[in-house]
Amino acid sequence: MSETPTHPASDERLMLAFTHGSPEALTELFRRYQQPIHGFFRRRIADPAQAEELLQETFLALLRAAKRYEPRALFRTYLYAIALKILRSHRRKAIFRAAWFGRPDTVPDPAKRDSTETDLWVRRAVAQLDATDREILLLREFEQMSYAEIADLLHLPLNTVRSRLFRARTALRQLLEAPAPQAVTRDISTVGAST
Amino acid sequence: MIAATHPVTPEELMAYRDGEHSSGRTAFLAAHLEACSQCQEIDRVLRHASPTLASWTVAPALPNSAFEQRLSEAAAQCASVSVNRSLFNGLLAGFGRRHPVFSAAFGVSAIVAMGLAMVWFSARKPFPDATVAMNKGVAMRESRAESVFLNSPTSQNVEDDVSEKPEMAKENLDAAIAQRQALLERLQQARMASNLENPAPPPSPPPMIARSVSLSVVVKNFEACRATLDAILARHHGYAAMLTANTQQNAAQSLQASLRIPAGELASVVNDLKALGHIENESQSGEEVTQQHADLVARLKNSRETEARLQAILVQRTGKISDVLEVEREIARVRGEIEQMEAEQKSLEHRVDFATIDLNLGEEYKAQLGSPSPSIATRFHNAVVAGYRSALESLIGVTLFLAEYGPSALVWLALFAPLAWFLRRRWTRASLRA
Repeated sequence: MSETPTHPASDERLMLAFTHGSPEALTELFRRYQQPIHGFFRRRIADPAQAEELLQETFLALLRAAKRYEPRALFRTYLYAIALKILRSHRRKAIFRAAWFGRPDTVPDPAKRDSTETDLWVRRAVAQLDATDREILLLREFEQMSYAEIADLLHLPLNTVRSRLFRARTALRQLLEAPAPQAVTRDISTVGAST
Repeated sequence: MIAATHPVTPEELMAYRDGEHSSGRTAFLAAHLEACSQCQEIDRVLRHASPTLASWTVAPALPNSAFEQRLSEAAAQCASVSVNRSLFNGLLAGFGRRHPVFSAAFGVSAIVAMGLAMVWFSARKPFPDATVAMNKGVAMRESRAESVFLNSPTSQNVEDDVSEKPEMAKENLDAAIAQRQALLERLQQARMASNLENPAPPPSPPPMIARSVSLSVVVKNFEACRATLDAILARHHGYAAMLTANTQQNAAQSLQASLRIPAGELASVVNDLKALGHIENESQSGEEVTQQHADLVARLKNSRETEARLQAILVQRTGKISDVLEVEREIARVRGEIEQMEAEQKSLEHRVDFATIDLNLGEEYKAQLGSPSPSIATRFHNAVVAGYRSALESLIGVTLFLAEYGPSALVWLALFAPLAWFLRRRWTRASLRA
């Protein structure tokens, strides 16, 4: 006699359970979203250590803000909104440190660590996109967000999201078909600071 | 490709491919995509992006059991803290965030309370002075000061103030009077002996002495003593040249008077005044004005004779008009001197005839427990008036405080609030990480 499989609780239920005093719910949420959030930061920040730190920072922020959580939207959107805020804060601090202390963070070249040739080629093409277009493209392609979620997250009209996504995809196609330049120095971690 | 010339826009086609279209439009888009070559080309371009981006892979996050453990502990701690949250944190964190209007009102109330306290403390300082001034005004209104200026004393006494005790002063005065009497007796005996040898000279006038006495008396029954004083003045045919009485409630009553008493009655009047109560201070003095009076009489006599001669000249002699006018001016000048000397003579003789007593009458004050208190209605009325004034003053004080310190408080709040928020955030993060 086989045991009836139990449906896993939704993210929203887990978050509500945590707000009502169940610490195991947060642990489960961390296990679910550790890799997606890590990928979110890793594609936007070159330094893996900083990406790891921001991942932890995101869940600590989720922990602190748990009392104010209200299930008005998907938990996934809520979590990515926190991550996006932390990412912007990190970029502002990086710009501040570079402006006042004159020593930008030493970012190891990702091409020398874990990047393949194709990976580096795509990354450089994405880095040349407009900041908002790039963010919309990344959220759609890697975080698998719907147009409505992206619009809610970036505070943009839905049609704007759709038109900018189309423009980003077209531009990316053109950039990938064009011959690769000899030296591309731009990096997504610094270009994306204006997002 | 424009929507006006093509039924499907590229963005619409992209949304169809991403599954973002409604079902009603999906069938149409699918049919159109199979028939339209342009849209197929666009679809090919769009489909190329996703597989290309899929090649951008990142290394998965390494399992971080330590952080996971800390997160679990922090979650458990957060859950317990949420249950046992203190009232203060609840007010600040929970209530403040969920009810920002009430928390802002609470903050404003706290600032107003602080302002009230400061205004109250700052307003307490001038109260005593104001109270004293008000009491003085009330005392001046309530005191029935009677100032009777009948005649201003113009004596130029050279007083021998007795600084010793009253008994010693009295003994010294009695000794001096006895010595003076003995001297006068010896002088009279010598004159009688000489009268037997020589023919009788004209009798010498008695010495003219202007007497003055100063008395400070403390009495027990002020009102009774006041009546007794009037009786003494009437019995000895004296009068009060100046009298000032202070009869303030809940305080010692006092009286200052300058009495003029016939010289022959001075001793008895002084004795009567001493009988009123306890003598605190007494001084007596006498000014010999005989020579001054004799000189004045002689000058007056000469002036009168001069005036008579001038009158005779004016009547008997004739001459120029200027001479006549000069004589008349001289007569007028002499006449003025005569009248001035006559007034001085009268004043001098009056000082000799009437001695002066400077009396300071004070009451031996005893606080009364059974002092009549105002009625309940009066007290309630006074309380209402005081409450209204207090409320008005406090309102004005708060308004002035906000007007004076409100902008500064807002500036400092704007300066320090971000710092406080930042420090609290850092502290919270550090505590969670720890």
